[in-house]
Amino acid sequence: MAKKKSKDTESTEEKEKKDDKIDLDFVDDFVEDDFIDLEEELDLLDTEDLDKELELEEKLIDKDEAQKQLYLSCGIHIGTKLLSGDARRFIYRQTNYGLYVIDLTQTDKRLKIVAKFLSKYVEEGSDRIIVSSVRRYGKEPVKKFCEVLGCRAIVNRFIPGSLTNPIIDTYVKDASVVVIIDPHADKVILREAQLARIPVVSLFDTDDTLVGIDLAVPANNRGKKALGLVFWILARQIMLELGKISSEDEFPYTLEEFTSKIIPVYRQEQTPPQQRQQRQQRQRR
Amino acid sequence: MSLKKNTCFCCGRAIAPYEAAVHFPCPQCGDVTIWRCERCRAMGKTYRCLKCDFEGP
Repeated sequence: MAKKKSKDTESTEEKEKKDDKIDLDFVDDFVEDDFIDLEEELDLLDTEDLDKELELEEKLIDKDEAQKQLYLSCGIHIGTKLLSGDARRFIYRQTNYGLYVIDLTQTDKRLKIVAKFLSKYVEEGSDRIIVSSVRRYGKEPVKKFCEVLGCRAIVNRFIPGSLTNPIIDTYVKDASVVVIIDPHADKVILREAQLARIPVVSLFDTDDTLVGIDLAVPANNRGKKALGLVFWILARQIMLELGKISSEDEFPYTLEEFTSKIIPVYRQEQTPPQQRQQRQQRQRR
Repeated sequence: MSLKKNTCFCCGRAIAPYEAAVHFPCPQCGDVTIWRCERCRAMGKTYRCLKCDFEGP
């Protein structure tokens, strides 16, 4: 019995020794492998490039968001209560008050396309691009736009025959594109451009029709901030297309320079006696 | 001698030389010259570029 017990103890000791050896081998292997893996992993975990990519993506997202906020703050998306059949494809939704809202993505896309289109015709000091505005809020943006790019601005009354009658002094000989703000208000120049076979680019609100227009930009053409923003973006994009500036930040003009300084009548400061009179009138009613 | 006939991109009709038609490069790609006849222009019909599928006006 004693011999058997001694044999059992020996066998267990041997087994333990073997297990220890195996464990040690494993540990050694594991440690060696670990070291190799760590080095490889450190190489793999070199996330500087990834961080840069992420930063770029974040910047792009921020830029898009900033652009969107700029559009919204200037009210470029606000349409009218009327909707024409031609404007249906540019509409995003209708508000509870009945106003139609213009799709901002389409506006942004079209502005870039128009800038690309106009950049082919821009020549400083030539009359190839004619920009016209009868609206009061559109006069200053148009003037500034033409000053920056060297186009011809028609801000006052458009003399009939300026595009069709060569006898007149105001006849524009080499007009290639006409840019108008409102197809309803600028209908004289629109009709003349049709007769003279000149392509027309126009801002397009929800109540306008596409009659005689060759390229439309869906945008609010009544607000002064919206008009200023449209022409500011167009000027900036054209400069980019022409290669005069390398990035959008290099554009030397501000948005305020493009917006009209006219104060609407309902926002003009009223004197106290006037206000009193108005109150009295309201009370009488 | 053969005359090159330009066709309208909206209706596909051949454009007569006396018509008040208009032609301009495609606003998006700039490679294709788009032609619009007088009638389609007056009605505000849509045109489509053959190369880039840009739909206007």
